[in-house]
Amino acid sequence: MENTIGGFFLKFDFIKNAIASGSSAIGFDLTMLFYIMMFLVGAVAITALLATVGGLGTYAERKISADIQARIGPNRVGPFGILQFLADGIKMMTKEDIMPSGADKFLFYLAPFLCIFGVFSTFAVIPFSEGLQLTNLDIGIFYLIAIASLVGVGIFLGGYASNSKWSLLGGMRGAAQIISYEIPVTISIMSIVLLSGTLSFTEVINMQSGFPHNWFIFHNPFTFIGFFVLFIAGLAETNRAPFDLPEAESELVSGYHTEYTGIRFGLFALAEYIEIFVVSGVSVSLFLGGYNLPGHFLHGTLGAQPLQFAIFMGKTFFLYYVVIWIRWTFPRLRADHLMTICWKYLTPIAIFNLIGCAFWMVLFNGKSFYDLLMH
Amino acid sequence: MYYWILFLTSALLTIGSSVLMLWTKNLIHSCIFLLGSLIGIAGLYLSLGADFVAVTQIMVYVGGIVILMLFAMMLTGGKDFVSKRQKILDLIPLMGNKKSLIWASLVAFVFLLSQALLLMKIFSSVKVLDEVSAYSPSVEKIGELLITSHELAFELSSVLLLGALVGAAIIARPKKGRGN
Repeated sequence: MENTIGGFFLKFDFIKNAIASGSSAIGFDLTMLFYIMMFLVGAVAITALLATVGGLGTYAERKISADIQARIGPNRVGPFGILQFLADGIKMMTKEDIMPSGADKFLFYLAPFLCIFGVFSTFAVIPFSEGLQLTNLDIGIFYLIAIASLVGVGIFLGGYASNSKWSLLGGMRGAAQIISYEIPVTISIMSIVLLSGTLSFTEVINMQSGFPHNWFIFHNPFTFIGFFVLFIAGLAETNRAPFDLPEAESELVSGYHTEYTGIRFGLFALAEYIEIFVVSGVSVSLFLGGYNLPGHFLHGTLGAQPLQFAIFMGKTFFLYYVVIWIRWTFPRLRADHLMTICWKYLTPIAIFNLIGCAFWMVLFNGKSFYDLLMH
Repeated sequence: MYYWILFLTSALLTIGSSVLMLWTKNLIHSCIFLLGSLIGIAGLYLSLGADFVAVTQIMVYVGGIVILMLFAMMLTGGKDFVSKRQKILDLIPLMGNKKSLIWASLVAFVFLLSQALLLMKIFSSVKVLDEVSAYSPSVEKIGELLITSHELAFELSSVLLLGALVGAAIIARPKKGRGN
């Protein structure tokens, strides 16, 4: 219980005293209730926040793509069209929910929820700030990799259950792509686990600091390559361009969600946009210093939380922008090239990085590149 | 209290989806119920305080095995795999005939009896985490044990996995002199 979100707030004396006086007034220990209430409030807040981020993601994608292609983009609903995602959401909810004939009803209903469940479960461990992290699991990184694999099952079942050749092809491609690219992602993350000696997000972030020279990306040459391996493989895992073969518009209509309508289609789209946020957030936490403020400014106080949150969101949204930028710049890969990139390039490079990091730890006693230059 | 809720929901999920897995006639549905059952088992591990084992369960079975099973069914035509019913046992979807069922129940009876005798002592001493001790992280302990007292088993299993990998590569290798 101490490592959930309530544990952070109980470190402060005034909250502790308030709970103690409340408990003595009622004659019933409120500590447990406080933990549960804080967890529920945090969970609801993060879910609402991320649903908004997913919705704004669709808006950002349309606006940025319009910019890149010298168009205007959505500009009717609200100032600069920023409420477009709400209009889209209402439209999706009022659309008819069509079930294709011959579809597997049970799996057709289940698939989008598996996707959403897999994506939202990862937010149990993602650290937005020192306090705003639902649980600080000791195996947080491992948990995130494990639970995110449910998305692959959801995509695969969505493709299968629709009883359509396009969906089936998209689902097969999606599942093959996701389980292949899990390997370079996991091995690149393992090199960071090797450097920091922990599987907990909080401890990995605490070993870095606010300034770039202490980030793990600049720790040694191997982690520098490792960041790009993680980012490229992460793009492929979220089925984003140039790896969006599962939903390739020009060949498969829209892949595994061809037959989905209304809110079920919306759930698939939302899962995809939030997954980009997850991949960006994990890259930021592991390689780019996470929520750290320069010089551990106000570390461990309540006042630092909004600043830390802003720092984390700023870095994550920058990577989010890069993901969208890549989509509208590069053409789609061919299926065999996709597998070649994964198995012949990214996986060997990731393994090389892991071994390189191990040698660096032994030879230079775990000091970073900057430390070696300065001392 | 908290661990009891976790234990009860996980146990219900495990047993319920196992029964549904056996009951359903569609092989793909059966696979999805297996997924639920495996997640339930992860919950059971969690209620015993084995967090690392629980996450490994999800990682290996949900992320790997279930997807591979689905793949195998899809590539071999999943829709045609609807289990065939026997005439006498029309109400119960079971694979096999009368003779095999009688043998199977006999074997199962003997097996259960011996297992029950063996496991009686273990079951009577297993307690949910609340009663044993507070939660403590288990990654470090597992890691230490793997490279000290259980090193041989660890290395042997890695050799086994390497063997499987090499074997798969040999099977999949294109044969020489047999066309392109």
